[in-house]
Amino acid sequence: MSLKPLIIGIGNRYRGDDALGRAVALELRAVVIEHDGEPASLLESWEGRSRVILIDAVRSGSPSGAIHHIDLRAGALPPEFGACSTHAFGVAEAVELGRALGKLPPEIDFFGVEAESFDAGATLTIAVGKGLKELCETILELLRKEREHA
Amino acid sequence: MTESAKTKTIKVDYLARVEGEGALELTVREGALTDVRLKIFEPPRFFEALLRGRDFKEAPDITARICGICPVAYQMSAVHAMENALGVTVGGALRDLRRLLYCGEWISSHALHIYLLHAPDFLGYPSAVAMAKDHPTVVENGLKLKKTGGRLMSLVGGREVHPVNVRVGGFHRLPGKSEMRAIIPDLERARDIARGTIRWTATLNFPDFEQNYTFVSLAHPEEYPMNEGRVVSNRGLNIAVTDFDKHFEEIHLSHSHALHCLLQNDGQPYHVGPMARYALNSQLLPAEIRAEARNAGLGAVCNNPFRSIIVRSVETLYACEEALRIIQSYEPPEKASVEIKARAGTGRAATEAPRGILYHRYEIDESGSILDADIIPPTSQNQKMIEEDLWKYTPRFLSQPDDKIREEAERAIRNYDPCISCATHFLKLTVDRA
Repeated sequence: MSLKPLIIGIGNRYRGDDALGRAVALELRAVVIEHDGEPASLLESWEGRSRVILIDAVRSGSPSGAIHHIDLRAGALPPEFGACSTHAFGVAEAVELGRALGKLPPEIDFFGVEAESFDAGATLTIAVGKGLKELCETILELLRKEREHA
Repeated sequence: MTESAKTKTIKVDYLARVEGEGALELTVREGALTDVRLKIFEPPRFFEALLRGRDFKEAPDITARICGICPVAYQMSAVHAMENALGVTVGGALRDLRRLLYCGEWISSHALHIYLLHAPDFLGYPSAVAMAKDHPTVVENGLKLKKTGGRLMSLVGGREVHPVNVRVGGFHRLPGKSEMRAIIPDLERARDIARGTIRWTATLNFPDFEQNYTFVSLAHPEEYPMNEGRVVSNRGLNIAVTDFDKHFEEIHLSHSHALHCLLQNDGQPYHVGPMARYALNSQLLPAEIRAEARNAGLGAVCNNPFRSIIVRSVETLYACEEALRIIQSYEPPEKASVEIKARAGTGRAATEAPRGILYHRYEIDESGSILDADIIPPTSQNQKMIEEDLWKYTPRFLSQPDDKIREEAERAIRNYDPCISCATHFLKLTVDRA
């Protein structure tokens, strides 16, 4: 099992704030992969990893740019987070399949930023762009603390 | 839902385990079914309009964006239609590579539907996640198969979702022989899982629901159809793809954003997809696969849509075998694509998406700019047929609670592995008993 944390940024670069996960992935380049959210390959991507962080844009009714943090070991993604997936099968299902099959990493967290727009061809909105910076710092701080306690 | 002694409406506001957004409305008057409306409410996507003015070379990449599950189908129909307009034929190893790419999509899409979307109906679970707790091996097999399909799509198409390596005339980059050979062990494992899938699906319980379908699929003299062939039916239709518009018509209904497609000669609906392909082409499957199908209880024709899960499994095994065959004989061609020159013309093509015939027609000008585009996806062709099945299947449940009616109606719809995102130009169930 690899002890190096894996950060998975999920989304579509060409759909406005859906690009959030990928933008974080770019920002934290050394330790991250960009992913489209397809469940089978998502499950595969965290195989053998002890620490995984998933990042995606969400739409739950909170103000745009708000940061959500969910410890996926403790519970599932709330159903409203899954609603912005354009596929019949998305990130929430991948996590729950992983849990049912005993294939969740020992530590797995979800960070989401509340999105404003998923317009085709659009870039990140200003609110989500601000959330992005804050989220990168939050994740780096979390990983730093974990390293210190390791 | 409203209810009185005489009438009620049963609604499924948002169909589960189908690709995209659709709804169903059933109207019941004095215990009898009086209306069935399969509504595709996912908003129209205007792909045909946004293709106008774009270069013909862009069609495969633009249309691939119509679907995350079957982008290869869109790419294949687009390149073949453009090549038809330009008078170009792509043969040899390039043709084989296109077939290999399609094998990847069939394996991936069929595995998703068989194991994660359709199997819960037969094992009595609301979702694959719920099913996974009691049947982990079933779900893991589905994920392994899907992964292999995805690997094939990445190998030939550059990536799994919305591949980027397809172009009019061939490919941008050719996979090397060693890259191709590296996937063989994975494909051999997938083939074993696929064979097991046929045997496992044969043990499921199926409702008694034999129908007298008009099946329409491509047919090719030498191979189980994917990219090429004539359009044939079990009622004697046998036409060139270029005559598709003369024999099929699309009609718009106010309750759906998907156009309904009917046979022009009798105005009747028809059935496309794995059952149609199997009914019209099963003789072209290798003997070993035909024997597996026979042992699974399939005759030369399967008329029970609930058993489509077995047919999809047979096609999955075929796609694994065919992929192995192509890879083992692969010699990279000299060029990744044939030379293409723009010229004015109209091109038509149909290929076999996992869920049925996908027809494209393009008109381009002398500079290669697209003047007009027409795309007829399989789910809009099946939409009327699904409604027909619901008319015949749901009455046996009308005396039961609405939840049961809803559950059975959704099952009948999922038999078709509908891709609603593709069909918009689709589900939510309403039963009106008022």
